[in-house]
Amino acid sequence: MRQEQHNRTAMLQVENFSFDYENIEKPLVDQLCLTLYENEVTLLMGASGSGKSSLALCLNGLYPDAVEGFSSGDIYFHGKNIRDLKKGELNQHIGFVFQDPESQFCMITVEDELAFTLENRKIPGSEMSACISEALQAVGMEDFKNNKIHELSGGQKQKIALAAVLLLEPELLILDEPTANLDPVSSLEFIGLIKRIQKERGLSVLIIEHQADDWLELVHRVIVIGKDGKVIADEDAEALFSEKQQLLRQEGVFLPKQFTDSSGLEWKGDSPPLPTNEIILSMENMTFNRKGQSILKEINMELYRGEFIAVIGENGAGKSTLLQLMAGLLTPKKGNISFMNQPIERWNENELRKRMGYVFQNPEHQFITDTVYDELTFGMKLNGYTEEELEVTAAHLMKQYHLEKHRYSNPFSLSGGQKRRLSVATMLDETPDLLLFDEPTFGQDASTTQELMHMIRQLKENGTTIVFITHDMDIVDMTDRAFVLYNQEFAFAGEPDKLWEQEHILQQARLRLPYRIRKQQEAGVVYDLVH
Amino acid sequence: MFMISSINPTIKAFAVLIPGILLGFTFDVFTPLVYFIFILLVTFTLTDIPVIKWMKIFSPFLLVALGFAWMTTLYANQTFSYGDVLFSLWGIEVTTGSILTGISLAFRSLCFVALSLLFALTTDSTKFMLSLMQQCKLPPKITYGVLAGYRFLPIFQHELQILRQAHRIRGIGRTRGIKGRLNQFRRYSIPLLANGIRKAERVAIAMESKGFTGDTDRTHYHKMTVEKKDWLFFAMIVGTFVVVVGMSYYFGYLNIFGKQF
Repeated sequence: MRQEQHNRTAMLQVENFSFDYENIEKPLVDQLCLTLYENEVTLLMGASGSGKSSLALCLNGLYPDAVEGFSSGDIYFHGKNIRDLKKGELNQHIGFVFQDPESQFCMITVEDELAFTLENRKIPGSEMSACISEALQAVGMEDFKNNKIHELSGGQKQKIALAAVLLLEPELLILDEPTANLDPVSSLEFIGLIKRIQKERGLSVLIIEHQADDWLELVHRVIVIGKDGKVIADEDAEALFSEKQQLLRQEGVFLPKQFTDSSGLEWKGDSPPLPTNEIILSMENMTFNRKGQSILKEINMELYRGEFIAVIGENGAGKSTLLQLMAGLLTPKKGNISFMNQPIERWNENELRKRMGYVFQNPEHQFITDTVYDELTFGMKLNGYTEEELEVTAAHLMKQYHLEKHRYSNPFSLSGGQKRRLSVATMLDETPDLLLFDEPTFGQDASTTQELMHMIRQLKENGTTIVFITHDMDIVDMTDRAFVLYNQEFAFAGEPDKLWEQEHILQQARLRLPYRIRKQQEAGVVYDLVH
Repeated sequence: MFMISSINPTIKAFAVLIPGILLGFTFDVFTPLVYFIFILLVTFTLTDIPVIKWMKIFSPFLLVALGFAWMTTLYANQTFSYGDVLFSLWGIEVTTGSILTGISLAFRSLCFVALSLLFALTTDSTKFMLSLMQQCKLPPKITYGVLAGYRFLPIFQHELQILRQAHRIRGIGRTRGIKGRLNQFRRYSIPLLANGIRKAERVAIAMESKGFTGDTDRTHYHKMTVEKKDWLFFAMIVGTFVVVVGMSYYFGYLNIFGKQF
């Protein structure tokens, strides 16, 4: 944590600012007052849907115009009202790195994308080459000048996005969950990069983030926006996280683990039941190629009833492909996959889908009807349930997943957390034997994540086998077994506790230790290597 | 000599488009045949397109052109069905005139395909858009909009694939009949559009956040210029066409819209 005192010069002042997409009467961002200072790093937190990203886009003048939203109140940049600035002028002082690495570029190659920024600034063509090389060097990507952007990994894309923004020579850098899509090591690398650049250039930085932990050492102060759209805390991190824990929990904000002495993610009460030894799914020497390229090689695995499994590995290691193979959505080139002791290709599609569920990374992909009720009963109707049975089961699911109020809402209009809950609920009209999750906690706030883990526990108790793809090592720490994909093979398969001892594998697969183990190491507790 | 990949894309587009359109008016065999041979010569001497690759793309069009020729031969209207009756098929009389018109159409289509390939296989799509902006004053908003769109195609494809899988998981494969099919189309289109719009919005915001305003006054990293060699290329492609038409006239083959010259 940074504690050094410095003379603060105001850079950006927000006065009584409100913003909403539709209606200014009950705004998303409500009568906000806050100030950002020069050479200061500010962390902006709040539950999903509290308007953090919208506020950030208002700060650099893109909202409300870009979405035809409504705003009131004023924002001043170095004392000038941003409404009086010429179009595009403010943007050149404020650099913005977005969450989604896919959709923040407009050109095909790295060098063209960087040139785009320079062209906007009307830098003479002859000077561009030197500027581009310098920016690439600053983010450690100098060898990628001629690469195509879509061929880069998520972490590399975010570095290019940062380089493009640095070419604006901004005074303020706004980062909107820039590491949400990255594997653990890429995420740490990116944070390290920001730290170095902030120091070197004396930038102001505003970070929007659900998980504050790794950012804490460069953050000077934390602002929290409540669910009602008002600032509920604005102070230094130490004071906030140690004194206002109750308030933050209520708001669904992740507390940094070092302040709670736990990851916040652990089984409440007794530990859940151990898996039985009934085999649910098995893979034998399974090989999969795509376009002649080997993706998975000679994979062997067996999953037991009631087991909670994590599949981990760096971006592009083939985790999603493995999950799709388990679900029978892809066919292996070689080898066998059996579900409930029967080869998966011999299953009747209808029966298979009843007994196996799959929750996709983006819940929207799974929605097929116009209301929450129809969505929940869709599968049951196909299976020929009676009207009464539909009503009873749907009512039960809506209650369990807190969707009663949204019975007639369109699934697409729900909030992020609600969408996630609905997408899980649609898989549970009958208790499935196997449930597959592709990065279910991605972009979720603390309360949604905790709810999800609560659901997992119930499922596990009912004997469902659960497979997670995740980058969150604290979740991996809760599983029965973890499978690490590296170089098209399992580099590790076994209990997470054993994995944490394999430094070499962790490093190769770009993983890190969960908080629990890091803390033990820091505290100097001698970790029993034999167990 | 120059390579065609180094020609300014806008000039190249016009050089290919003008003979392409004008060829549409010639109904004799000689003109498109000679010009087709010329295009092949240009393709294999002034570009480094591998012959195999070119053949692979070209061959399906050969079939299409044959189909065109056959249909035209059978159903040529009166203006073109001059000459002796060669044979009759299912009560349709095929004359020398209709056969010649058919062959002419085949060569015209092949010319058009060959010209298009000559352009498409030697032109970088990004540079083409940049050149349209710099030479033809296409507004930067449209230019960069299209460029951003290029990036969307593979993303869209990937998205559709995931959507198919997700719907299969939900048991959509189990709905049947025409109504079910229609519903399926609707189910794909809504999330695809919703995501597409959201992504497009994000890209637009990201572009603006990098200081893009759509202002036409901007500097250029890739300065697209028009030089002597570009006009030389233009003159060669269009000039040869004029010469071929001239030759055709001189030998008495030229036929425009069925009118012999």
